[in-house]
Amino acid sequence: MPASRSEQNVTVRLVVNDRAHELEADAGETLLATLRDRLGLTGPKEACGEGECGACTVLVDGGPVASCILAAGSTNGRAVRTVEGLAGAGDLTTLQQAFVRHAAVQCGYCTPGVLMVLTALLEKVSEPTEAEVRQALAGNICRCTGYQQIVEAAVDAARAVAS
Amino acid sequence: MRFCRVRSVAEAVDELSRWGTEGRILAGGTDVMPQYLRGEQSPAVLIDISGIDGLGGISDVGGVTSIGALVTMRRLATASLIALRHPALSQAAAAVGAWQTQTVATLGGNICTAAATADTLPALLIADAQLTLVSKSGRRRIGLEDFLAGSGATALRPTELLRAVELEPLGERSSEGYLKVARRSAMDLAVVGLALRLDVAPSGVIDGVRIAMCGGDQSAHRVSAAESALLGTRLSDDPGAFGEVGAVLADAVGSAALPEAQYRRRVLPGLFDRLARRCAGEIAGAGA
Repeated sequence: MPASRSEQNVTVRLVVNDRAHELEADAGETLLATLRDRLGLTGPKEACGEGECGACTVLVDGGPVASCILAAGSTNGRAVRTVEGLAGAGDLTTLQQAFVRHAAVQCGYCTPGVLMVLTALLEKVSEPTEAEVRQALAGNICRCTGYQQIVEAAVDAARAVAS
Repeated sequence: MRFCRVRSVAEAVDELSRWGTEGRILAGGTDVMPQYLRGEQSPAVLIDISGIDGLGGISDVGGVTSIGALVTMRRLATASLIALRHPALSQAAAAVGAWQTQTVATLGGNICTAAATADTLPALLIADAQLTLVSKSGRRRIGLEDFLAGSGATALRPTELLRAVELEPLGERSSEGYLKVARRSAMDLAVVGLALRLDVAPSGVIDGVRIAMCGGDQSAHRVSAAESALLGTRLSDDPGAFGEVGAVLADAVGSAALPEAQYRRRVLPGLFDRLARRCAGEIAGAGA
């Protein structure tokens, strides 16, 4: 946030990973800044800062959004899920386990965003095809894996969830 | 800067009237927020309309499709009524950014931001889109083509809010679609985009043509010269007519257009050919 501009506050009540919060955000504050700097949830990452790369992806009311360009004030009354909300009591989700099995993580910077968009896909489509997985991933850039292991992990997880 | 959350259209137009040019409407924010974060926009207040009930509906009003300004790209891309009655719009919405963009980006935002390359605009133009604008002093209706006034410029007054868009659905012996050329197949702006609606008489003669383009000039627009070139030709026996129309479309790329006008002229005939064959095939396949 440019320090030179004066910002008034806006009250935001939202639920993040099943916990209710009420906080004061700056008027132009992004949801990503709120999550990372006010709530300590550093899973979502800032890379491009322009909504182009998907590293900051979180789910708002079940749909994937680029939290780096979403106004925190617009999320009032909404439910947000971050990668921290996936593994319940320490147990990885089926998708996360597939990522481990398929070595779908290298540097890991894109992983929280990729997991969230694929989580949304698996919740909406019971057994997505490889083409649907690739389509869902179109907004997430990974510079390490070439996407192949990510796609294989997602397809594998989809099968496991469906069976 | 302030953040002002409004809950109704009445509250929204009150705030717009209070702030005038100092206020900026925030819906999905996929254009407004990056502009603000880059320091290109410094409004005194962001007027957040995303929580207004009643602007997020898709309905049939006496045979006309009415779409609320807050309907998202994702909804347009997945709604069965839109796929059935406005396939070009469905395809255009699916071509905007990626899923993350489509979750929050709204139809009203795409219209009012009025980018020269906005994907939904050609699809709306071939459905003769009529916009309803509201302000404290009342409402007015305006056709989309008259509303668009150059790249990023529209006839929207600072005190007005776009409330809904009305569209003329596809006819029975009709087909339509949207295709774009971009550097990447997703998460990219159109270099140029085309929407086509074809109506075909039982005799096989094309008796209705609407063609609209984005990226070919400062605003998306209908291309009447190309429409005339196709009107009255037969659907099946003269694919050569498509080549002629492609050449007319290439000529329609404005000299004052965006960079790469030459490239746009070059790709337009091929883009039109693909789109026209697809639409013609759909009509033929439907037993025309």
